[in-house]
Amino acid sequence: MSGWRRAARLATPVFAVVGVFVLWDLTVRVFDVKPYLVPSPASTFQAIADDWEILRPYTWTTVTETVLGFVLGAVVGFVLAVLMSRWSLVQRVVYPLLVGSQAIPIVAIGFPLVILLGYGLRPKVSIVAFIVFFPVVVNVLDGLANVDRDLLNLAKVMSGRPWRVFLLIELPATVTPLFSALKLGATYAVTGAVLGEWIATTTRGLGNYLLVQNSRLNTDAVYGAVLLLTAIGVSGFLLVLGLERLATPWRSRSTARRWRRRTPPAGADVTEPSADPAMSATVAVSEDGSRTEGDRS
Amino acid sequence: MTPAKLVAERIIHRFGDTLALQDASLEIPAGEFVSIVGPSGSGKSTLFNVLSGLLEPTSGRVLIDGTEVTGETGHVGYMLQKDLLVPWRTVVGNVVLGAALTRGATDRDEAEARELAERYGLAGFQDHYPHALSGGMRQRVALMRTLAVHTDVLLLDEPFGALDSQTRLEMQQWLLEVWDELDRTVLFVTHDVDEAIFLADRVLVMSPRPGRIAAEVDVSIPRPRRLEALTSPAFTALKRRLLDLLYGQGAA
Repeated sequence: MSGWRRAARLATPVFAVVGVFVLWDLTVRVFDVKPYLVPSPASTFQAIADDWEILRPYTWTTVTETVLGFVLGAVVGFVLAVLMSRWSLVQRVVYPLLVGSQAIPIVAIGFPLVILLGYGLRPKVSIVAFIVFFPVVVNVLDGLANVDRDLLNLAKVMSGRPWRVFLLIELPATVTPLFSALKLGATYAVTGAVLGEWIATTTRGLGNYLLVQNSRLNTDAVYGAVLLLTAIGVSGFLLVLGLERLATPWRSRSTARRWRRRTPPAGADVTEPSADPAMSATVAVSEDGSRTEGDRS
Repeated sequence: MTPAKLVAERIIHRFGDTLALQDASLEIPAGEFVSIVGPSGSGKSTLFNVLSGLLEPTSGRVLIDGTEVTGETGHVGYMLQKDLLVPWRTVVGNVVLGAALTRGATDRDEAEARELAERYGLAGFQDHYPHALSGGMRQRVALMRTLAVHTDVLLLDEPFGALDSQTRLEMQQWLLEVWDELDRTVLFVTHDVDEAIFLADRVLVMSPRPGRIAAEVDVSIPRPRRLEALTSPAFTALKRRLLDLLYGQGAA
């Protein structure tokens, strides 16, 4: 039963996407739109297939720029946020600069970046990182600032060592806001990579392909590139979503994963011999039944 | 006469111009259960923060076993109305938090936490995350966490204040059971006069701001106490007296 429900829930977004393609196809057919204005889904896929030998390495290039920039931006953003929360002087100095940096149009810093970093991978990665890091800084900083004061006081009453308090209480509190930022970043990152390719035009990526095909009025190829770019963005988003579920088991599960539990050491004077934590947990669930279904998918 | 476990000597505390505590003094022998009642704003929480070492009082001293510990943390266990469970740690992970934050939790700590949980009504829930527990169970975990720190003195600041009355009664009986077996000295703040009497050997009454201990009532109801104690004549008489002390003659 719940299996069906689960399947239905997973299928819904698939149906939505298929629906968009059907609508697209119908619109083109019914209104007899010229292929050079809007190509049909079929001819778009055909264009991808025809050019696949070129598109494959191009896609790879764009994926590389996106992923490297995304990781760089996330790491820089996270480290900055932690430093800023640790030392208020750093925050007072850096925060206004960060906000200012985001007011600069990316297209405008693109050209100086090319002069500085050349035409290779570096300017693209920099632009992606530049877009990704800001939401990370803001969210992680919020996460650190919103740790419950009472919890920190409790840690103090327990004589908690500051770095342990930081590792066990403050840092984990940033995970949820961090992932909110990463989900935004995953979709923005592709835009950054395309912009980077447009500004520093030598590498062969999907952004360049897009420009070239556009100038030739190969509309179906342009649509094909757009589809591929969308696929990269969506894949990135889904990957982050998956990582989030793995990193925050407490939000989706009622018990710890088995491999994360430390079972009581043999020989330690613990309860009854039959007290296998997993066993007793299942028993308790069936007895109690209230809010402890094993896995709230 | 038992030597005093916890002593507060003439604690005075000022927040800016406001005098929060005025000569608050108390003396609690080892193993005693003492409740503190008082109207809102009588400085109960301020007193607790001073006793726990979170707050350095403007003047006055705190002693544990005769040693001065004023302004020092780490000498008492501390529990609030908010359970303050860490959402990403399981029940066992939360119980061993004190060890984890000081020296790192060992297998022995975890084994002890499992046993505490097993023994005091959390059997089978050791690997659950807090969000999967009811309010009463969360407070049990919070108390286990406080016990696992192994301090002789426990400061409990309205720990059951957010629970519904039925769960609250259950938790009070449970707390007495735990206290009876583990022999700790407990200072228990509450708004609830019934709760104060039912649990304690002695009830201290705080005056409104500036806070000080205005009166003291011995609770001579024999232990172990059952629910019937709540309706006994002795209980009613004590309650009347405490209400008089708290709200004046008219309210009783």
